[in-house]
Amino acid sequence: MNILFGIHKPDSGYLKVFGTEVSFKSPLDAIENNIGMVHQHFMLIDDFTVLENVILGDEITKSKGLSIDFKKAGIVLNEIIDKYDLGLDVNKLISEISIGQQQKVEILKLLYRRSEILIFDEPTAVLSPVEVEHFFKIIDSFKADGKTIIFITHKLNEVKHISDRISVLRKGKLVYESDNSNELNISDLSKAIVGDINDIQNSEKRNASVKNVEALKLDDISLTVNEVKILNSLDLTLMKGEIHGICGVEGNGQSELVDVIYGLQKNFEGNYEKLIPGGISLVPDDRKRKGFIKEFNIGENISLKGANLNFLPSKKINKISEKIISDNDVRVSDLESPMSELSGGNQQKVIFARETETDKNIGSNKSDAEENNILLLVHPTRGVDINATSFIHSKIIEQRNAGKAVLLISSDLDELISLSDRLSVLYKGEILKTFNRNEFSRFIKSDSEIEPETDQNLY
Amino acid sequence: MDLITSVISLGFVAQVLRLMTPFYLGASAANFSERGGVINISVEGFMNLSAFSFAVISILTGNITAGFILAVLINLLFSIVFGYFTVSLKINQIVTGVGFNLFIAGLTKFLLVYIFSSSSNTPRFEGLPEFTLFSSIPFFGLFLTDYITLFCFLLIFISAYILFKTRFGLRLRSAGENPAAGESLGIKIRNYRYYGILICGFLSAMAGIWMASNQNSYSDGMIAGRGYIALAAMIIGKWKPVNIFFACLMFSAFEAFEISLQITGSDIPSQLIQMLPYFITILVLIGFIGKTKPPAADGVPY
Repeated sequence: MNILFGIHKPDSGYLKVFGTEVSFKSPLDAIENNIGMVHQHFMLIDDFTVLENVILGDEITKSKGLSIDFKKAGIVLNEIIDKYDLGLDVNKLISEISIGQQQKVEILKLLYRRSEILIFDEPTAVLSPVEVEHFFKIIDSFKADGKTIIFITHKLNEVKHISDRISVLRKGKLVYESDNSNELNISDLSKAIVGDINDIQNSEKRNASVKNVEALKLDDISLTVNEVKILNSLDLTLMKGEIHGICGVEGNGQSELVDVIYGLQKNFEGNYEKLIPGGISLVPDDRKRKGFIKEFNIGENISLKGANLNFLPSKKINKISEKIISDNDVRVSDLESPMSELSGGNQQKVIFARETETDKNIGSNKSDAEENNILLLVHPTRGVDINATSFIHSKIIEQRNAGKAVLLISSDLDELISLSDRLSVLYKGEILKTFNRNEFSRFIKSDSEIEPETDQNLY
Repeated sequence: MDLITSVISLGFVAQVLRLMTPFYLGASAANFSERGGVINISVEGFMNLSAFSFAVISILTGNITAGFILAVLINLLFSIVFGYFTVSLKINQIVTGVGFNLFIAGLTKFLLVYIFSSSSNTPRFEGLPEFTLFSSIPFFGLFLTDYITLFCFLLIFISAYILFKTRFGLRLRSAGENPAAGESLGIKIRNYRYYGILICGFLSAMAGIWMASNQNSYSDGMIAGRGYIALAAMIIGKWKPVNIFFACLMFSAFEAFEISLQITGSDIPSQLIQMLPYFITILVLIGFIGKTKPPAADGVPY
């Protein structure tokens, strides 16, 4: 995709757009050839208005050509917004609008530049189910307008739902191509994606639970931030040896719930009791921001976790790195390369290892009783490739089998259903209902149908 | 004349407005650079350099126009070097800025001794011609007495217009907020960062020239931290031209007050008053005027 959009140049081969051979030196060339791309990580300026973000680089100016004609630009944009029902206010700042709306701003950027070929990189990863539906409607109207859409995703049901043709790329090769028809089998697709690697049969490995030992109890927890009630008399009990899933649309109090349990948010009302010894481990939602220090290497990042090491000779650090790499199948070119050079899946493996590895293995001299026995996982496989996802899933089960209390927050329903022992629905800061595994197990798909999130740079 | 009557007078207000000129020019200079994503703490040094070159060249050639033009050109030349270090070579901007400040301070000292055999100041010279159009108008005639001050007041509106209403301003700001986003839309980020630095060099030249012209000579250390205060004013003004104007007014009011103290021979030690602007700057930076948010990519090499 980076070649298509002019960010990288191919070593060999050629590119044809609408029948003419082209060679792109920069994204600008791609834009001029009516190719537009919505990146997975938005290219927006928080402190600019929607309008400023859209027109940047291709401004509508007054007759003299220097000052921007905001009025005219507003009219042009509103026409497009109305045509495709984008529902944006062009004068709002990016920092004031939701992620879903920000994506529409990215789409608006392409439409404003008259793109005919639209590339979407993981567009639905950040959207709620309702937003996804609306997104598909917009895509359909583009199709009706004769535009070409390239939709990159690892969510197979979405591919099946929206595509006319499907291609599978693996390790830089086109391994599968087919028209989307009723005969198309999703398991064939996932086989093409996974290749020869055997699925890890998550649900098979599940031990009988060490139930009925309460690990954590939240009783009538309420939290108000900036006069908005975020958690509302929330009750939650976490058992030892269970995976307790939390499902619900993002923004219903998930991150605040984690903050309360992890001790980052202290201004809550209600009772919070930890009933087993040891600490709490957290795999945070935004790994790039909260999960690790990108300039540090693997061993250094691991050593950050309160290990009793006053001196950190690089030999010791490298030993830790080696252990993490071999135990977790982390793909890294150099032992000492910074975390930022790892793919998303490998970064997540390292964070997961840091939070679950017994401290003894990474140089601390804590006793077993002081080990962290509660594990909070927030979107543990978001933006993670398919192999790393099944690896992390099997590790989660392993932690559960070892008797830890696991809280799993995810927006991936399939992940929640296949892993959870109990599943609670979080809505407007309240647990609406909690289901036991036998109540939702009929939704469990065979493992080949689970659609783990995929990091596209792996292919 | 006692202190109170000297402070409560139209003349005092005019004095405040006049003394604001180097602060606002310096703050606006730094603002253009930072809006483009480059922290330029060498505004102090650039002001010093242009005050020096304007005075020295004017004296040596006997031609103020030559002094003015060459002072501007020398500042632009130094700005290009600053840009080469910070934008092209991506050297840490603060370190580069400190280096420029120290280098310019040493260079001017050295040349002062070398040319005039004096370690403190140049001989006196004429300075820029006066702006007389408003001199008969009450009040305005008291402070709009030279072209640079006039330009400075116009700059409040010009810079706001350039930054927020023009294509150039939008692109410059994109370089300071999210260069990757700008680049994905085909904007040549590095060029815009150079433009910001060059505008900074030009405006700090105006500030330095005003200082030397106002004093009719160059003396060592005459900038006396005004470039740094300008940076503080920019931060207090939250990188917005009109807000920066008010921040600069505060600083120049302190300076005018201090001058009044000295003239009236008040018992209040002038050092105490000299200290006040810095003290207030610290208070403000701690957060008394709400959160200040610099451009998101300010100081980040790209």
